[in-house]
Amino acid sequence: MKCDDQKIRNIGISAHIDSGKTTLSERILFYTKRIHAIHDVKGKDGVGATMDSMDLEKERGITIASAATYCEWKGHEINIIDTPGHVDFTIEVERSLRVLDGAILVLCSVGGVQSQSITVDHQMKRYKVPCIAFINKCDRSGANPFRVIGQLKSKLGHNAVAMQIPIGLETDLQGVVDLVSMKALYFEGDNGENIRMEDIPQHLLEEARARREELIDAASLFSDELTEAILEEKEIPAEMLYTAIRKGTLKRELTPVYMGSAYKNKAIQPLLDGVTLLLPAPSEVENVALDMNNNEEPVVLSSNSGKPIISLAFKLEDGQYGQLTYIRVYEGTVEKGCTIVNVRNGKKIKVGRVVRMHADQMEDVEQLRAGYIGALFGIECSSGDTFVSPGINMTMTSMYVPKPVISLAIVPKDNKSQMAMSKALNRFSKEDPTFKTYVDPETNETIIEGMGELHLDIYVERMKREYSAEVTTGNPRVAYRETITQRADFNYTHKKQTGGSGQFGRVAGYIEPISDAEFVFENEVFGGAIPTQYIAACEKGFRQSMAKGPKLEFPVTGVKVVINDGASHSVDSSDMAFQAAARGAFKEAYLRAKPVIHEPIMKVVVETPTEFQGAVMGLLNQRRGMIIGSQDEGVMCVIESQVPLAEMFGFSTVLRSSTQGKAQFTMEFALYRQVPQSIAEKIALEVAQNKKTAAA
Amino acid sequence: MSVGRALKRENNVIHLTYKDAIMIKQEIIQRNPLLNLGFENDYILKSGDFGAVLAYAGVGKTALLVQMALHAMMHEQPVLHVSLNDAVSKVDVWYRELFNDMASKYDSAEATEYWENILNYRFIMTFRVEGFSVPKLEERLTDLMQQNIFKPYVIILDGLKFDESGRGLLVELKELAKKYSMRIWFTIHTHRHEPPTDDGLPLSFRHVEDLFDVLVQLVAEGPEVYIKVLKGRSSEAKQDALLLDPATMLIKV
Repeated sequence: MKCDDQKIRNIGISAHIDSGKTTLSERILFYTKRIHAIHDVKGKDGVGATMDSMDLEKERGITIASAATYCEWKGHEINIIDTPGHVDFTIEVERSLRVLDGAILVLCSVGGVQSQSITVDHQMKRYKVPCIAFINKCDRSGANPFRVIGQLKSKLGHNAVAMQIPIGLETDLQGVVDLVSMKALYFEGDNGENIRMEDIPQHLLEEARARREELIDAASLFSDELTEAILEEKEIPAEMLYTAIRKGTLKRELTPVYMGSAYKNKAIQPLLDGVTLLLPAPSEVENVALDMNNNEEPVVLSSNSGKPIISLAFKLEDGQYGQLTYIRVYEGTVEKGCTIVNVRNGKKIKVGRVVRMHADQMEDVEQLRAGYIGALFGIECSSGDTFVSPGINMTMTSMYVPKPVISLAIVPKDNKSQMAMSKALNRFSKEDPTFKTYVDPETNETIIEGMGELHLDIYVERMKREYSAEVTTGNPRVAYRETITQRADFNYTHKKQTGGSGQFGRVAGYIEPISDAEFVFENEVFGGAIPTQYIAACEKGFRQSMAKGPKLEFPVTGVKVVINDGASHSVDSSDMAFQAAARGAFKEAYLRAKPVIHEPIMKVVVETPTEFQGAVMGLLNQRRGMIIGSQDEGVMCVIESQVPLAEMFGFSTVLRSSTQGKAQFTMEFALYRQVPQSIAEKIALEVAQNKKTAAA
Repeated sequence: MSVGRALKRENNVIHLTYKDAIMIKQEIIQRNPLLNLGFENDYILKSGDFGAVLAYAGVGKTALLVQMALHAMMHEQPVLHVSLNDAVSKVDVWYRELFNDMASKYDSAEATEYWENILNYRFIMTFRVEGFSVPKLEERLTDLMQQNIFKPYVIILDGLKFDESGRGLLVELKELAKKYSMRIWFTIHTHRHEPPTDDGLPLSFRHVEDLFDVLVQLVAEGPEVYIKVLKGRSSEAKQDALLLDPATMLIKV
């Protein structure tokens, strides 16, 4: 293992689903000699792409879990995280971006900047990840890389500038002209591994010169030296130009754009050059940890391998050799045999095997220096945990985790499946913070929660395949919430006298809606009407009531409780009595406070050929969707809408059948909104029905 | 949201009042851009009419039209915003920002709910300039109307280039407006290098001027942006008194 920290690149490959990022990763591994044959996604040879290591991924042709791998290119070590493209798996993308220093944003030369590219771009902005763009599929009919560059500017606000121009397009794609060296590059051999460098073809010379001017112009903003050279009309050396472009890229103020076709093995090697020349080394990126001893003050990390260890577990995987924990080392060196501490629970861990991953194969290494990504064996932790040297009390900033919006009841078929299921659920909830599981105390069913139908689907499938847990699933349930809309008073006495010591407690006050907190409790009791020692019991009673609304038993949010009077009994009052009184009081006031139900509303973006635009709008409209707008993109159009999650079940099937499979959509949580009266009645009926079934 | 659900926040607590929703509505009505300029009806244009806002780049054409659109949405009049320059999300930001500026004094939860409510009266459609044509627009419109998804009362057409598009396209649009009882507002980008004719209109606009019923110009003078009526004002109109706040792009009240 080499140790030049300046020659490490930790990069991600992010893009819209189906824009070919797994194919691109595959080609990168081939050219860097990590694999010796190319297998395509959904390929006829049935082997599947190397990065899609899960069977399910191979079958569906999508990438579900990030597979980390590393390779070497011209003396640089590149760690690649292949990220999923579907919004349901956004947590994976977010986690990868958190540990990356740079990214390749893959775009389709036909589809251009699509909805998922916009989501991914937002995420990159959030984590300030510098990126270069790769316009893939230039061999497809309708390919137009310069239109995509225009979209990068207009839709994503990138200062995008071409590093290359294509030689031919669509079926005629032969290679690219490199605008820095001003040479034409052709890719020959069975897998495009032989690069032939020639002079630029005459018919492209003028365009190449003009585009190079644009490139130099854009880069000159980041280098006085380059500006001077331009003014003095000197020859501009490649190195000077790259330095300027790199400066702009690292500041995220310039996005260099490469182009080619991964599938046709065209122009992947120049992209790899771009990665090594333009994306940052770990020490060039500012990473911040929080000092737990100093009120969580942010501390900038130095990327120094000689310092004590600070590292982040960003992914867990249950492989054939046991639990694998992917970590990124930010400071210090993680070595075989060293001791690290999990900051979350203070547990000391002795590091056993240290490995570097190549999809599902691994290579043992002695150590991981600052800036490196690798994996540890046999470590009990959750993803997002920070590992440090003993004596250090720092944590990496917590990752943004959205709340689940959908749930599903699962029932194991037999005892064996029951065991396997709990093992699987334990693993999944550790691996993925957006995936949650619990047992419903009333129905005794196991409930899984997640970010969308597909998200839960995949986990049910994985349970079957990886853990042989046969489960049947109930209907997906939406995470409704209840809230109140007006103030209501309560004055409730809890009194029980059934032999022995009795129970007595009276609470009075009011509840009212509150907009920006889930629950607020205020004590305005003066003169000891309720003795101070019972106030906490009152709060506990009200809090308990929030878990299940008296209206439809959904969790209640946005309630302020004020108690201002009450009564107690010297013998019969107790914590229990006041808890019961509070629960009774909540129940009494709640229905008079005009409760309503809120439902999750999803942002649904559909991309469809224009001829199906009307049909798609109809579909969304039928689903109580509000269409925000439609965007004409030539042959395709993008429809943006907000649709209640409850109406989205089975949407993908309906969408496919109404558009001959030509439309695709993405969906993510947008907000909670009040359910219309007619729907609320339906929900009430359903809840009553479920209760009956559970009771029977 | 019904007015009865109006809420007011105080120390995080929402008290039920009617005040905020009414106030937000009043705020927007007060800012009804052109009412003070002597137009007879609230919406200024009649069915089938054309109106346009002329200005140099960056003076506030879109902002003014979005305020008019918000005004219509407030009165439950559906607005179709057609943009030939910007993406749906960017147009949406215009509306959001202007609404938030207007509603900034009021309870945020209440304003958000009100916003959610009036959103039903807006539909954004974007086309690439080269891909825009009246038959295409009509096709999209019928898609929406036949399925009862949206029937616009007013169209805001932002980004049409008058010097290039010629008279034919506008004549077709006029027919479309009449056919579906709509009125259309346009933005007209004037150029500093092009001296206006005597009546303040740019030369490149002359050939289609007769198709327009109302023309309004935004003029930046010093730190102020004035709104001047070039065509369509009633005889009892007041002076050109309306100002646009250059910081927020809102009509000053």
